[in-house]
Amino acid sequence: MIKVENLRKTFNGNIHAVKGVSFSLEKGEIGCIIGTSGCGKTTTLKMINRLIEPTDGKILVGSDDARSVDPVTWRRKIGYVIQKAGLLPHLTVKDNISLLSKIMKRDRDFITRRVDELMGIINMPYDQFANRYPIELSGGQQQRVGIARALMEDPPVMLMDEPFGALDPITRNSLHEEFWNLNEKLHKTIIIVTHDMDEAFKLGHKIILMHKGEITQVGTKEDFLERPANAFVEDFVQGHSGE
Amino acid sequence: MNKFLICLFFISNLYANVPIIIGSKSFSESVINSEMLALLLEDSGEKVIRKFSLGGTKVAFDALNHGGIHVYPDYTGTGYVMILKMNGEREPKKVHEIVSRQFLDKYGIAWSKPLGFNNTYALTIRKNDKELSSIKTISELAGKLGAYKLGAPYEFMERKDGYKGMASEYGLNFSQENIVSMNAGLMYSAIKDKQVDFIVSYSTDGRIKAFNLRILKDDKNYFPPYNPAFLAKADFLKQNPVLKETIQKLEGLISEDEMIEMNDQVDRLKQDPKDVARNFLINKKLLKGEIINQEVQTSFISFAYSRKGELLKLVIEHLWLSFSAIFFALLISLPLGVLLTRKEKAAKLIFPVINTIQTIPSLALLGFLIPILGIGFAPAALALFLYSLLPLVRNTYEGIRAVDRNFVEASRGIGLTNTQILFKVEIPLALPIILAGLRTATVIVIGTATLAALIGAGGLGDPIFRGVSTVNSNLILLGAIPSALLAIIADKFIGWSETQLVSKGIRLAKKRRA
Ligand SMILES: Nc1ncnc2c1ncn2[C@@H]1O[C@H](COP(=O)(O)OP(=O)(O)O)[C@@H](O)[C@H]1O
Ligand SMILES: [Mg+2]
Repeated sequence: MIKVENLRKTFNGNIHAVKGVSFSLEKGEIGCIIGTSGCGKTTTLKMINRLIEPTDGKILVGSDDARSVDPVTWRRKIGYVIQKAGLLPHLTVKDNISLLSKIMKRDRDFITRRVDELMGIINMPYDQFANRYPIELSGGQQQRVGIARALMEDPPVMLMDEPFGALDPITRNSLHEEFWNLNEKLHKTIIIVTHDMDEAFKLGHKIILMHKGEITQVGTKEDFLERPANAFVEDFVQGHSGE
Repeated sequence: MNKFLICLFFISNLYANVPIIIGSKSFSESVINSEMLALLLEDSGEKVIRKFSLGGTKVAFDALNHGGIHVYPDYTGTGYVMILKMNGEREPKKVHEIVSRQFLDKYGIAWSKPLGFNNTYALTIRKNDKELSSIKTISELAGKLGAYKLGAPYEFMERKDGYKGMASEYGLNFSQENIVSMNAGLMYSAIKDKQVDFIVSYSTDGRIKAFNLRILKDDKNYFPPYNPAFLAKADFLKQNPVLKETIQKLEGLISEDEMIEMNDQVDRLKQDPKDVARNFLINKKLLKGEIINQEVQTSFISFAYSRKGELLKLVIEHLWLSFSAIFFALLISLPLGVLLTRKEKAAKLIFPVINTIQTIPSLALLGFLIPILGIGFAPAALALFLYSLLPLVRNTYEGIRAVDRNFVEASRGIGLTNTQILFKVEIPLALPIILAGLRTATVIVIGTATLAALIGAGGLGDPIFRGVSTVNSNLILLGAIPSALLAIIADKFIGWSETQLVSKGIRLAKKRRA
């Protein structure tokens, strides 16, 4: 479903942020990119969304090549969620969720129905929450609205940059559950950037460990626990899990 | 864009040019003389427009020379010294001959015959000043003045035949820190209250009598003659024989005592210059009608009520001027402010320029615009427009730059174009700061618009300046109170519109932070 080949990014000619990254995910699969701060996770994710133009490499979603369309069209086919949700403070919950659909001039009835449906999915009843502003929501609620916004246009692929990073552990845990169950129904192909090994183990069908702009190991939880590629992976798994 | 503005302003000026526009400087005598002309012209069925607070000689003469007004009274001495930059001749007839010939050659402007009296400068002291009681002439003061204070009008400190000439002719030695240049109207209160000991007054000023002052004799005939006469473009006079005939009726008509009397009626007794001028013309059988001896106004409320028609007109002028300036400033500032956030290099070049405009003193800016745009609405609106640029451009720029980059990034990430981000995200989020800029600009403009009266643009500054020059506090309040009220109302209105325009989500967030 999503395929990244030899992706590279060099900033200002000398900062090699991402040095040839390749991986792929099947439909319905969740991939977690994990690594220490500054290893190139966000840069990789932004290149897939074309917020950053790659220096080199290939990105495919289904059979569509990222370079075959303009960036705005490309981004509209991909759900995008960032830390602290990035909800617009001047818009209500329903206007945040429907922002893109309104801009794309979708039918009014369709928008109302879809927002109602999505708010049901994220367990935030329309009647209670639709007209609230982001400032009137808890961190976890904001994050759920962020996910609903990303799902509005029903994209096959979702990119999430540390989506649960700013939440307290209890909220984070319950959102993990909700999120996992949600995707059992929706079957989206999802890339989650995280620095939390537990989160990666819990949510990722596939875990992609990055270090200094390169992939050190790609595999399942079992691969990482039983067959670490090298001493660095072993250290990392021990140091970053069970906090 | 600026060109377009200027054209627009000119068109509004042209439209006003049908009736005879009579100017006057902003002191009672000039207003009374102009009012006489206006009344006689109206009596013969002419339409006139009064522009009676034109500040000093520079403004009034430039206005006549560049077509902002058609006629105004000035003094032979002023024309000779200030405008022609000549000196030496002190014989009244000769000075009149010289200015008449030279003005016609240089500017195509004709002088009428003098109106009669002579209003020259005079060194004046308190009658009851004991230390100076033996002094009768200026010569007797030579070398004695170290600790005394002198108050003099701004103009007098500037001109060749003013302070410098007088000091050297008579050997006067006021020390520099004891010389106060002040508004001619405030000078008389200053000497009465002993804040100064000498003033340079005018010889026909009503307050010499009213404030118990006396004039020291100009025993060396230092001060040149100042005989008032009407100035108008020669061509204009030819096309308007009625104007010429009407001016002739006033030539040689007014004696010194009569002028002092009329000045006193306006300055001290607070009578309307229009009534004073009308009474005089009736006495001289030039007008028919009843003598009006209007009671001295006591309460401000009844005074304001009696002038309610005038007040309404002034408020409308004031608002129209302020709003045109703000409207065009908004039209330019919003796109400019946004553009500058996209072009940081240009911002570094443009902000110093806008900042500099803001630091030019308002009167200097107005004076600077007169040679380019003449007097009246155009230069005043342009100056106010320039003043409101800074707060508007700066707040638009700062407001948009203060928008959290995360919101912009998130919006771009979900597929908004740059234009959509600007209108759906950046501007709504920057709106509180932009409106704060609008608030500042509006308050500045409504306040500064009072100065527009000095260049004939009317508005609430008009009674303020007439009031200052005639020491009439009711008149000052008539302009000052409404203009302060307008500023407060505008401020509150924009504050209220903020609650209507700015999203509740942002206002809630702001409250929570506070
Ligand atoms: N726009 C940029 N210009 C220059 N360097 C950048 C830019 N964005 C990121 N980098 C650098 O690239 C590296 C990877 O950054 P990033 O992808 O944000 O790391 P993380 O894995 O923490 O998300 C870091 O060293 C960062 O400083
Ligand atoms: Mg990151």
